[in-house]
Amino acid sequence: MAVIGAFCVSVNKELCINANMPGKCATCAEVCPHGVYTLDKFSGEMEVQNFNACVGCRICAEFCPANAIRINPAEPEFVTRYPWTFSTVEEIHHKAQTGEYLLRGFGTHGQTPNFDMITVVPSQIASAAPLDKYREECDMQVVIGEDTCENPVVLKAPFVWPAMSFGALSKEAKMALAIGAAMTGIATNTGEGGLVPEEAWLARGYTSKEMTDKQWEPGGYLIIQWSTGRWGVSADYLNSGDAVEVKIGQGAKPGMGGHLLGAKVTEDVSRVRGVPVGSDALSPCRYYDVQTLDDMKHMVAFLRDVTNYQFPIFFKLGPSRPYADVAACIEAGADAISIDGMVGGTGCSPDIVTQGVGIPTIACIPPAVQALKDYGVHHKVKLIALGGIRNGLDAFKAMAMGADAAGFGSAAEIAMGCRVCYACQKGNCPYGITSQKPEMRARLDPIETGKRLANFIHACTEEVKILTMLSGHRATKELSPEDLRAMDVNTAALTGLKLCGYDRALPFWEALQPAQAGGNGHK
Amino acid sequence: MITINAKTKDLKALNLALKESVNGTPVTVKNAAQLHGIGAGLKHGEVIIESSVGDYVGVLNAGATIRVKKDAGKYVADNMTAGTVIIEGNADYGTGQYCYGGTVVVHGNAGDFTATMNKGATIMVTGDVGDEAGTYMLKGDLIIVGNAGRNFANYLIRGNVYIGGQWQSIGHNTKIEPLTDEDEAKLRAYFETYQIEADPTIFKKIVAASEKPFYN
Repeated sequence: MAVIGAFCVSVNKELCINANMPGKCATCAEVCPHGVYTLDKFSGEMEVQNFNACVGCRICAEFCPANAIRINPAEPEFVTRYPWTFSTVEEIHHKAQTGEYLLRGFGTHGQTPNFDMITVVPSQIASAAPLDKYREECDMQVVIGEDTCENPVVLKAPFVWPAMSFGALSKEAKMALAIGAAMTGIATNTGEGGLVPEEAWLARGYTSKEMTDKQWEPGGYLIIQWSTGRWGVSADYLNSGDAVEVKIGQGAKPGMGGHLLGAKVTEDVSRVRGVPVGSDALSPCRYYDVQTLDDMKHMVAFLRDVTNYQFPIFFKLGPSRPYADVAACIEAGADAISIDGMVGGTGCSPDIVTQGVGIPTIACIPPAVQALKDYGVHHKVKLIALGGIRNGLDAFKAMAMGADAAGFGSAAEIAMGCRVCYACQKGNCPYGITSQKPEMRARLDPIETGKRLANFIHACTEEVKILTMLSGHRATKELSPEDLRAMDVNTAALTGLKLCGYDRALPFWEALQPAQAGGNGHK
Repeated sequence: MITINAKTKDLKALNLALKESVNGTPVTVKNAAQLHGIGAGLKHGEVIIESSVGDYVGVLNAGATIRVKKDAGKYVADNMTAGTVIIEGNADYGTGQYCYGGTVVVHGNAGDFTATMNKGATIMVTGDVGDEAGTYMLKGDLIIVGNAGRNFANYLIRGNVYIGGQWQSIGHNTKIEPLTDEDEAKLRAYFETYQIEADPTIFKKIVAASEKPFYN
């Protein structure tokens, strides 16, 4: 379960600069987020002191100027010693020594039910003919808030950057996400850490506050998050974007609020959040100012009022009881609902929560869609799938299952350069993505990184286009579960998709068709 | 003086009327007990509500003065950043939560979770408050003239909590400090400004024991 352990660290002493000239190089010790390497202050020699702390991110290997480091997985460990693997042993020792539970950044690891056991069904002779990706058009636009507000959000591609807060991310990373959104016509999100002022104009494609010099076409959108910690929130904050998102939960730690440890609460973060420098900013797990669904309805009403009925209202859910939670969001007045599966990302969370709490993304979507259908608002109230979406293929599958769009959170961090070291909470990210340290942040150029993010979205957009058209559709809104098949019984059981070979849904899913059972038996 | 009868208005209509009306002339509102979120996000002006009000009165207030002549529902002045909200009766659960600035005065009792996550406002209650008042307060002043319930000032991080009466139990991460001359002068000034009958010298002051009580 724990991040620690499971990798072998090898240093080629013939190549290693430090081995040949002690004190000359300690790059690996400087960049490793987990203290695998230590530098002896007296001899100047670098040592691999803590093998079991390696998580396999390979940041050390990337930074090593002599290419002397190799990291190899030690998977047989999980076969031969399970359940008492080294990582479990180390975790128990850690708790015994410190009395503290483990914290983790980034997200869940290991096997959870995922999109990989779902395959796309192409068109052949019996279905609508496939369309030509190279010479025909594919409509991927998603409109949110069409009938409920003055200024709907019109995504040019069916993607968003999900909420990632300033504090969890550096200012430069937030700016890069905004630029990436502007270059692709999608939406970025403030997260719950308040507004980085530049986001407001960068996301729309402008280079300055005056918004007279549009640099990046077509321009994107900024979603303003309203959350339980209410960091940096005011009426002006709510009016600085294009939509308001009410955060109920997130995939990595549903039932808990945001965690920003003191190491990342710098003066800038402190100023925005209103917490002392160096103190932990721990958002409440619930809204102190909501006790009932009626309260939530009133909250949506005043959020619309404060924003002069201009913007759509999003909700963001963690993976709990998707049918009932989505139904509650619909009743509260949502224009769009993001549901974040258990593989969703985080800047910091208790290890056991990220690893062991919540529903996988593929199991969240069908009940969420059923709720939307039962209320008669499927594709009207938009559903956005989050949590471990890696590429256009995952996004396509989510949309064919009934979502209108998908979000790339962890994938966006990786597109910015992240190597998944699971130590975002420590604030030492050598790529400047999740660090607040000036020397780390200086490594992240917002414009160049924004281009990387835009490239990633362009590639994923093309992937979705390929899959949509080879399935015989001219628009992503035409996709349906008929475009997919589950490749094993477990996936068919979790999703209700037809099983390959059997070519129909498993019997208990067929028995739950809305006309027969009132929609999953809930409503 | 402009008077608006809210009996047949919804929130959108009333708040639009308030936004259009609060230009130097105080606005009086009648029959507003059924509405939640009155005065949301107002930046200036003075609103006097002659009836009781529903929940979220003065939410996100950004500079207006809102006076309620009777009782208020839950979440008074929620997330206020500037201005003043005065309740002449009692206030329900969650008064003055998430405020970054401004002043809230309740000339009566207030419910549980009053001033939770206060981040810079001054919140005064002339009567008693319920449980968990001042929970996770990060800045500002909470002044209780009467008594407090359980877990008073729980996980206080920063700011000052003053109380003239007693508490049933005190929360984590708190310590009691003697009242300074500056504290007394501050309290006296507040009491004079808002016509509160109380003797500052009998108040106790509670501050945070640590700014980092969660993770070492």
